[in-house]
Amino acid sequence: MIAAQKIAPALVFLLWIPASAQPAVAPASGESAGPAAGENAGEYNIVQNWELGYRFATAGGDVQKYDADVNYHNGVRLFSGFLSVHSRTGRGAWFDEIVLTASGLGNDPYESAVLRIRKSRLYQYDLQWRQNDYFDPGLVTSAGYHVENFTRRWQDHNLVLFPQSKLRLIAGYGRNSENGPALSSEDLFEGESGNVFALFSNVHRLFNDYRIGGEAEFSGIKLSVMRRWEFYAEQDSPQTLAPGGAAGFVPGLTTLGGFNRAQPVHGTTPAWMAALLADRKKFAVNGRFTYSKAKDNFLLDEAAAGSGLIGAENRLVMTYGNAERPMTTGDLNVSYFPWDRLTITNNTSYSNTRISGNSFFEEIDLATLSADILNFQFLGIRLLTNSTDARYRVSRRFDFFAGYRYSDRQIRSIQSVTTPGAPFTNTAYSQYDHVQAGAAGFNWILAAPLRLHAEAEIGRSDNPFDPIAEKNYHSIDARLQYRRKSLAASAGYRQNYNNNSTVLTAYSAHARDSFANLSWAARDWLAFDAGYQHLHLDTAGGIAFFAGLPRQRLQTGESIYVSNIHAGNFGLRLALGKRADLYLGYSITRDPGDGRSSLLAPGSVPAALYNVQTFPLSFQSPLARLTVPIMSRLKWNAGYQYYGYREDFGLLGNLENYRANTGYTSLLWSF
Amino acid sequence: MKLLQLLLLAPAFAAAQSYVGGDACRTCHGDIWADFYKNPHYINVASGKLPPEKTGCESCHGPGSLHVASHGATPIPRAFSKMPPQEVLADCLACHSKTLSRANIRRSAHTEAGVVCNNCHSIHKSTAPRFLLAKIQRELCYGCHAEVRAQFDLPVKHRVNEGVIDCTDCHNPHGAFAPTWRNGIRPRMVDQRLFDEEPCLKCHVDKRGPFVFEHAAVRIGGCEACHTPHGSSNPQLLRRPVTYTLCLECHNGAGAFGLQNSGVPMQTALHNLLLPQFQHCTMCHVRIHGSNADANFLR
Repeated sequence: MIAAQKIAPALVFLLWIPASAQPAVAPASGESAGPAAGENAGEYNIVQNWELGYRFATAGGDVQKYDADVNYHNGVRLFSGFLSVHSRTGRGAWFDEIVLTASGLGNDPYESAVLRIRKSRLYQYDLQWRQNDYFDPGLVTSAGYHVENFTRRWQDHNLVLFPQSKLRLIAGYGRNSENGPALSSEDLFEGESGNVFALFSNVHRLFNDYRIGGEAEFSGIKLSVMRRWEFYAEQDSPQTLAPGGAAGFVPGLTTLGGFNRAQPVHGTTPAWMAALLADRKKFAVNGRFTYSKAKDNFLLDEAAAGSGLIGAENRLVMTYGNAERPMTTGDLNVSYFPWDRLTITNNTSYSNTRISGNSFFEEIDLATLSADILNFQFLGIRLLTNSTDARYRVSRRFDFFAGYRYSDRQIRSIQSVTTPGAPFTNTAYSQYDHVQAGAAGFNWILAAPLRLHAEAEIGRSDNPFDPIAEKNYHSIDARLQYRRKSLAASAGYRQNYNNNSTVLTAYSAHARDSFANLSWAARDWLAFDAGYQHLHLDTAGGIAFFAGLPRQRLQTGESIYVSNIHAGNFGLRLALGKRADLYLGYSITRDPGDGRSSLLAPGSVPAALYNVQTFPLSFQSPLARLTVPIMSRLKWNAGYQYYGYREDFGLLGNLENYRANTGYTSLLWSF
Repeated sequence: MKLLQLLLLAPAFAAAQSYVGGDACRTCHGDIWADFYKNPHYINVASGKLPPEKTGCESCHGPGSLHVASHGATPIPRAFSKMPPQEVLADCLACHSKTLSRANIRRSAHTEAGVVCNNCHSIHKSTAPRFLLAKIQRELCYGCHAEVRAQFDLPVKHRVNEGVIDCTDCHNPHGAFAPTWRNGIRPRMVDQRLFDEEPCLKCHVDKRGPFVFEHAAVRIGGCEACHTPHGSSNPQLLRRPVTYTLCLECHNGAGAFGLQNSGVPMQTALHNLLLPQFQHCTMCHVRIHGSNADANFLR
């Protein structure tokens, strides 16, 4: 027991090491200011730690890009919170366990809280709450439009009654909301100029999920049934002309005097799930069936007025209708254990998705009805897969597996349009794709702490849906791990190749990842970890497009993309006696691309293709953290982290480089 | 000779292996027992009504009489750290098999790679507040998936390192049902959310639809047809730094691809790739994930 007490702090130290190797300036979870074993209060034991402090951040360069990537700002935060209350007898009056963890509360961009309250055999309640301040600048993918700066909140509540009994009842509620300002864009009066205008949009989306179900166990078989109702609403998303947006993207052609749009969507998805699970000595069987029927009702009401080449323009657009998506899935797993050493598992899965909808479209230009049409679309996807895997243990040190997978996919579609009152001109299309794949691998314990795993898969598809989908593909994965109590090392290689021939050209994608890691707790007061990863991707595919000056013409070419990411991370933890703990970390990502030193002058077709073949950049982040015990239940922390982002070329129109100094000072308190 | 010895000793050995109850274990393993009441497995101890083979240490580690009698010299029958992975899995599933989230555990990529329960869960020395995880979740996963850690260190990424998202928001480490997107075979460990859908749609509910005008590639190929979900150098987690190469690699009109088996439709002659407004596809095609109002996703 005494030995254990001596070992405990070292163990906590060892376990804390990897947790501390985080790139974000935030205290490592699990740090404790008070006694790790907690304190007894009556029949309960309580452990709690709260870390409150101030975060600071200054950023220079492209601050919008910083906000999109990092987004830390000044303010008081509850960096971390931990509370556990456990009944020492396991027979608490109202509860046996309360565990609460929280981080970032108080307006950090990343906030979360998790709560569990449990009374054995009677109930178990779980809550997850998260908030993410999400900033998306005017990205180059939309020429600077589509700015989003909203807050996304998730919460999920789950209550299980009689969790250890043969009859369990389950109820839950989930909520996902997005709120905030955004910019969008609208292509208006395109017949004249193809001009695009920036629109202010108020994002307000709400998703609610209610569920209730139960589980019953009889004769060794467990039946699980769940019913859920999901409600989705884009309650009101009025889109109006953004300040300064009236001139449009293409200067001088068209101006917009006024614009207003309302585009509410309300959707419901009632769904069923039923599952059966059985386990016997020689076999195990489980099956699942789900059915959901999503339905969205929508309305778009849009009014625009301005002037173009033909003079005054005004346009009213009204669209309304609904879309449905009934979806059925079924899964059956059968595992058979003829001997202790052999496991054979067969899986059959079926899914059928049918998406259909009507969209009534009416457009009035200059007070004249110019379009009055009804669209109908259908997309059906039926997927049937079957796989069989066998795993055999040759000895305690060596086992291998092999598997065969087959899938059969049917895609059907109808794209129809008519004027109201006239029959649809339905033209239906159908296609099938069959995939056959084989996989095999082995696990070999070379020595007690040294383990090797390798596996490979090869697959063939006879009719992929698009030119970049998997057709002739293979993957290889190999990992070597060495693990001792104070030393862990690993290295691995992973390869994914795909070739998808087309008439235009051949599409190929080659992804190769390799890595090596080392973690070593050399002494009670010294530990470090380091890692290197290389992620390579090269793809080549044929493209066809219209381009040219002064007039565009059909062009063909090859789209090449090369990414060569080298990433490294390093962490060092130093305990300075009992006076302080120091953590130093560094992470760097460098993509040199294909090694080019310059881009072509823009404005030509070769430049449009060549200049975007690679995206060389670097992203680095050194950090330091100091923890000083002040009193027996109080620690002072200070942290600093630098973020540096640098692009080699202004590939996306401008250099988005930024640098930021962030940090915090805080008190970790256990009272 | 050894076989003969085994045959002769087997009955005696079997008779000697008996349950001694948890009190004997506490004598030497006080450090484990000291806070075992915080362990979910303590529930069987707390009831005080179950026989030794179904409660406490011996319910997992087997009868301990020889281990106790030899003062620890004879190992406990079920020492998980020394057992082959398949035996660990079988022992844990004896109680934990009938859970829907573990329905695919026997064919999961983890099981096939020899990664079983005690590679991620630490029954006695868990440092995570829930699920008896050996470490906080992301560090646990990074321990083997170092290449994924590198992806989350990229400038554009899902916020796993920042703690607002967990690996299990998208993945089921116990094995997932066959995906209802792509070809149904790969990916193998990506979980379905809302019963039967790609997990991205659990958070990105506005992309979920249904839409009258679906972008078929999204529904058929899944979000990863255009995005790399862990992290990327490119904005919006896109597979390419600019949209026109991303879009045109499919929309090239070639082959028998697409819904109508005649190639994915290429852009119209109205476009001129050399003009900036046509290099940013989503500037006009704003509802690229699906639209109710426009077949070309313009509104």
